[in-house]
Parts: sequence; structure tokens; C-alpha cells
Amino acid sequence: MEDLIVAFLRSGTPLVYVTLAGVIAQRAGIWHLGLEGMMITGACATILGIVLAQSVVVGLLAGAVFCCLLALLFWFVVEVLKANQIIAGLGLTGLGLGGTALALTAIFGSEGAVSASFGLPRLGPAFGAFGGLSVLVAAMPFVVFACWLLLCRTRFGLRLAACGEHPFAARATGVNPGTMRLVALLLGGPLCALGGAELAAGSLQIFSVNMTAGRGFMSFAAVIFGAGHPLGATLASFFFALVGALGIRAQLSYGDRIPSSLLLALPYVATVAGLWLSARMRGGNAASSRELGQQ
Amino acid sequence: MNPDHLQQGAGASAPALAADAVTVRYGDVTALSAVRARFEAGRIHAVLGQNGAGKTTFARVAAGLVQPAEGSISVFGRHLAGGDVVAARRAGVELVHQSFALPPSFTVAEVLQFVGPKPGLFTRRGIERHWQGWLDGLGLGLDAGARIRDLPIEMQQSAEIARAMVSDARLLILDEPTAVLSPEGTERLFARVRELKRQGVTVMLVLHKIREVLAIADTVTVLRGGELVAGPLEAQDLTSEALAELIIGDGAARLDAGDRAALVGAAAEQHESHSLPDAPPALVLKRVSTAPEAGGKGLSEVDLTIRAGEIVGIAGVEGNGQRELVAAIAGLDPLTSGEIFLADRRMDKASLAARRDAGLRVIPFERNVEGLSLSSPLWENWSAAQLVGGSLLAQVSPRALRSAAEQAFQDWDVRFNDVAQRAGSLSGGNAQKVILSREMDSGARLILAAQPTRGLDIGATMAVWKALRQARSNHAGILLVSSDLDELFDICDRIVVMVSGQAVATFTTPWDIQAVGRAMTAAHKNRAEEATR
Repeated sequence: MEDLIVAFLRSGTPLVYVTLAGVIAQRAGIWHLGLEGMMITGACATILGIVLAQSVVVGLLAGAVFCCLLALLFWFVVEVLKANQIIAGLGLTGLGLGGTALALTAIFGSEGAVSASFGLPRLGPAFGAFGGLSVLVAAMPFVVFACWLLLCRTRFGLRLAACGEHPFAARATGVNPGTMRLVALLLGGPLCALGGAELAAGSLQIFSVNMTAGRGFMSFAAVIFGAGHPLGATLASFFFALVGALGIRAQLSYGDRIPSSLLLALPYVATVAGLWLSARMRGGNAASSRELGQQ
Repeated sequence: MNPDHLQQGAGASAPALAADAVTVRYGDVTALSAVRARFEAGRIHAVLGQNGAGKTTFARVAAGLVQPAEGSISVFGRHLAGGDVVAARRAGVELVHQSFALPPSFTVAEVLQFVGPKPGLFTRRGIERHWQGWLDGLGLGLDAGARIRDLPIEMQQSAEIARAMVSDARLLILDEPTAVLSPEGTERLFARVRELKRQGVTVMLVLHKIREVLAIADTVTVLRGGELVAGPLEAQDLTSEALAELIIGDGAARLDAGDRAALVGAAAEQHESHSLPDAPPALVLKRVSTAPEAGGKGLSEVDLTIRAGEIVGIAGVEGNGQRELVAAIAGLDPLTSGEIFLADRRMDKASLAARRDAGLRVIPFERNVEGLSLSSPLWENWSAAQLVGGSLLAQVSPRALRSAAEQAFQDWDVRFNDVAQRAGSLSGGNAQKVILSREMDSGARLILAAQPTRGLDIGATMAVWKALRQARSNHAGILLVSSDLDELFDICDRIVVMVSGQAVATFTTPWDIQAVGRAMTAAHKNRAEEATR
């Protein structure tokens, strides 16, 4: 049982950080399909920072800086050049996946993966079975709470929501939706970097090409499943992570009878099911597809 | 900044608002040209004009939402650069928008917190208590915990006014506040405006109805085609005839008295009814109900008959089932119960093509969304009607359709360059004429005209009215949905009032204006009370 909870926290935490970035963007009126690209950039930058500078702090800072640069680029393309958000987000994901593969080849030759000699600090033996988890896992509840406070209990959060829901209402009170979206995306940058860092350096200490494997898109689905609310989206991410952890457990128990690829696909199946469910709960998928189409 | 042709009141204090040669251009359209006016503090000013006269643009310039190309604005003596909402709000200007600027998922308390002066962390209960006390002081009867989307439209307006008053507005501008209100709601709004004036707030009302202007305003300013025609003039020196001249301009002489009164919202004249009691019915609705849409109510047991050669108006505060009624007859929403007959054929399960074959034509609410494909050429928009029904393999000849479209546009006096130009390049009036040319053909037996003149200038409005009357004399039945009672009084033979998805009352000539207004608000009030509880 403890193993399951550890596996669950380990796979859920990266999703939660990235999902929070998606929630902030969604509140400001941006459907952030670039989450995957930002997450893998954060993962890559963290490991490279650790390998090249022998410092976790440098690694995390590098991740945050690169993710913020990507966020800035995304904002520029969407707000200034007025490009379609969906296409721009997918482009950003492509840039992240391709860019990290390129960086790996450029720095280490043609390797598909690079491993670091150490990763993020662990909680330590005082936490018993949970001692192997990184500090980012322990920090996660506080970050979620802080996001909830910021989005749902401050005037900043109301302004952000107004920009997403009714930009004219924001403009009419002197709030510039474009600026607010920049702030939202820049807030999301470090969160994506933390998600990526936890994925690559939390327990593994390795970065490999395409290692996010669609987790950014899963986070995006969690934003929709959680109706754009920080707590709801966090629960949705944990739901996807739980299905993943159960899948791994099932693989250990029934691996000889059920093809493992089928069990590995479980979180993705859960994502699709979750999206279908959230569409049903909100009165048919016309509403959600209209939202996507309009933005 | 010395507009010597304007009347200046006593007292040398700075005017609440002074516009100096303000010019606004949208692309190559000049929305305002060199408007100069001074509005004294502490009074109620009306800005009056037809659609497209530049009233809303003027209001938005004053509120800092629109940056003038030339000229400048000053508020209470303070010069504003223009295009800066924050500066305008700091100077005390607040604008209540025509279609309210409130995020629908917010509660009233959240809206007030969002614009209000108190930053920092809050709790939901905390802000609800804080703002409820403030709202009670204002006497608006609003519940701070209610969500905007659950409020009836009149309460939404109250919320918008409350939003504007949060920052102690000294100049409150209301853009077409009466357009969404029943006559009774308008009375309540005006009482509130007078109360604000007593408290020392300068109020500017953007209106287009003379009757309302004369009831409330101290001064009147008239805009026409983006230019200042006159003003601010003292309202007590004005008659509705004189104002009608100013609003309509040279065209006034050519209009008949009823149309003129309807255009400018002077008290509606009685006019004779054309309906023929023994004409065959073009449309019969028997106890028609539809499922409630998200965020609205469906129709409930609507009975309605429209005879050939009759214009029946649907009156009611917006959002009381008018859209659902049109959607049900047009076959866009399924019925949950009831029957629809076109002529004498039962049609409630019929396809769109069958309904169209039976002579149903629709002039939809949103001409740029439902009526036209703005990115498609004009001839394709026009010929869309021919593609409904018939064989899927029937040959389409673009050349023939193009020339037929061109002919139709000429008949309807559409101003266009080329049938291949995109529909989005036309002005509102011309776009509506393209729809009319498509929908009002000789096969039309029942025409659903949903807000056909909304947002149109005088010329285009007259063209629509002429077309509707023409269709009536060709024995088509017409259902006219309008939120403009003056329009309904002018051209309808019968008026049905809708409240909460029900047809609650029917009126015939001579019109009893007060009774129609009462019918519009009777059940509405209950709903408002329900929502605030």
C-alpha cells in the first residue's frame, strides 16, 4: 500500500505543477497546449544544469528561465502576432520536444539520454517509506494552496478571470487583458519547470528524449476536467496519476497475462474518459468544443 | 476650447465633460467628426441620435475606451489624453455599457471587489458581507452573493450601475440603458438617475427615444452621422417635433407621421390595423413547449396564430423566450410537446427543407452570425437558399447564380461593387438587405423577422419596414420580434407579449401603451424577486 502511495505521489506531482500552469493560463483566456513543450524544456534544463554546473539550484533556475522564455514567445505569437492559440501551443510543444533533443545531441553527441550523478534533495530517512520522495513532492500542497489563494481569493485572481471570461469587462475597468495574459503565462513558466524537474530529477536523475510522453497534454486535460479551478484540476491530475500507478501495479501482478503496453495506456484512456465525463457534466460537448473554438 | 455656439450655464466652475474637436475613425469610417461640446456638472444630459450617429463612440471616448484620432477631452477641468480607462476612472468617469461588461460567472460581490478599491486577500463570505452592506445603502435591492448569469437583465443593469458607483463616480455615463428595459423598468431607472443627480452626480444618458429624453433630461445634445447637430440645448425649451427634425435631418419631410414617430421614439400614434379576421392562418402554434436551454427557459405552452396578410409583433423584455420561439418555428430546436402548422400542414417534425418549401423564411437575430457567412462571397450567401432541399446531385451553375444574385441585389437596392465581394465588407444596412433579398422572395408565406432593424440607420430601417409591409400586402404572414415597442406599435396589426417563455397577453389597435408595458413586467417582477432571494 505504501508503495502504491509513493508511486502515486511520484507520478502525480509533476502533473500537478504543470496543471497549475495550465489553470492560470486558462483563467486568463489561454488554452495552453504548449504545456508539454514547457514541461520537457524544464526537465531538460534541470538535468543539464545539474550535469554541467553540478548544482541543483542552477538546474532549477535554468529550467525556470527557459520556460519563461518559451512563455514569452508563446505570448508574443498569440497576443502580438494574433496567431491561433491552439496552433501556437502545439508549435510550442514541437519546439520543446525538438529543441531538447537538439540540445542533447549538440552537447553530448548523439545520445538519447543523459543521466546526472545526483538529483533533487530527498525528504530523507526521517520520513520512512516516503523518504525517497523529493522536496518538490512535499512542497506541492503548499504551491496548490498558494495558487488557490492567488486565483480565487485575491483581486488579481478576479482580474485574471475577468480577462479570460469577458475581456471587454476587464478593458472597461482599465485592466489590459494582453498584459494579464503575459503575467499568467510567466507565472506558469516556473511551474512547468518544476513539473519537468520533478519528472527528470525527482527520483530518476535522468533526462531522455520525449520523456514527458504526453504528460503535458494530460495536464491540459486535467485543466478541462477540473473546470479551470486549481483544486479541481489538482484532483483531476491525481486521478490520472492514480490510474497510472494502478497500471504499473497491475503490470507487476498480471504482467504475464495482460500485454504491458495495454496497462501503460491506462492513464491515457483515463484522460479520454475524464474529458468525456466532464463534457457530459457540462451539458454535452458542444459547450467545450465551442469554448475551444472561440478562444 | 471655446465653443461659443453652445449654451453656457451660469457659474464658472469647470464643466463635467468638455469635448474639443473630437474625431474618431474606425478604419476609413469616421465615427465622430470634430465634436465640440461642454456638459455642465450636476445635471442630467441626454445624447440623442439614430443608430450610427456616433453616440456610443462618444460615450466610449469620454470613458477612455476609445482613443480619438484628433481632439481632446477634459473631465471636471482635468485634461485627459484619451484612450486611457484608468485615467478616466481616476477623474471620476464611469460608463455603464449597453451590453453589460460583467463576467457572467462572477457573483455581484466579486464584480464589485474586482473593480473596487480594496486589494489584498479576501474570503468569499467577507466580501459578500462587506458589499451587501454597501449595496443596501444604495437601495438597489441586489444580493451580493447572486451570480450575474442568474440575474434578470434589469438586475444585471443594476449590478452594472453598482459597479460604476463603487469608485465614487462623479460623471456617470449610461449607454442606451433603456434598450433592455420594460417601460416600467425605465421608470425605475429614471427615478434612480434623479436620485443620483440629487447626490451631486452628473449623469449622461445616451438614448435614442425622444419620449424618454423629454422625461428625464435637463439638456439634450443631438448627433447625426458622427457630427454634432446641436447641443447641449435646454430640454425645457424643446418640443418632440423640433427634436425629430434634428435627429432625422433632411429626410424627415419624406417620412409619414407614424414612421417618424416610431423612428425617434416619440409617443406612438394609433394606426389602423390591416389584419383580415377571416384570412387563412399562415402559422398556428398549439401548446408548444421546448426544453430549457443552458442559462434560459424554454417555451411553455405557447398558443399563437398568424393569419396571411398580418404582421404580429412579439413584445417582451429580451430573454423571455423570443429566441426560443423563433428557433422552434424555424425548426432549429425540437419541441418537447405541442404542434406547429404552416398554412394547414403539420410541420413540427418537418425538415428545414420542407419548412422552406412550405414558405417559411427567416430573418435571424444575428445577421452577421446566423444570417450571413461573412467570409463568403455575396452570391454564395444569396444562393444558399437554393441549396436547401432538392436533389443532392442537382447541378449547380455558379454563373447563373451570380447573375441571379446580381439582379436580386439591384432590385433590393443593395450597395455593392461585385457579387464576388465578401459579405463582411458590407455595412449593416446593406448586409440586412442581402438577407431580405434572399428571404423575402415570392414564395414566402410566413416570415420570421427577428430584430430586423436593430443597429440599422434610418434609411435601412425604412427599407426593412417597407419590405415587411410589401410582404403583408402579398398575403404573407409575418412574425416580428422587436425590443423596440415604437417599432411594433408602428407596423404591427397585433402584438403578443412574452414573459418567461409564455405568451401572456395579446393586444390589438388602438394600442394601450401602458397596458403593454404592464404585461411585459407583470410576471417579470416575480422572477426578479425569485433570483434575488
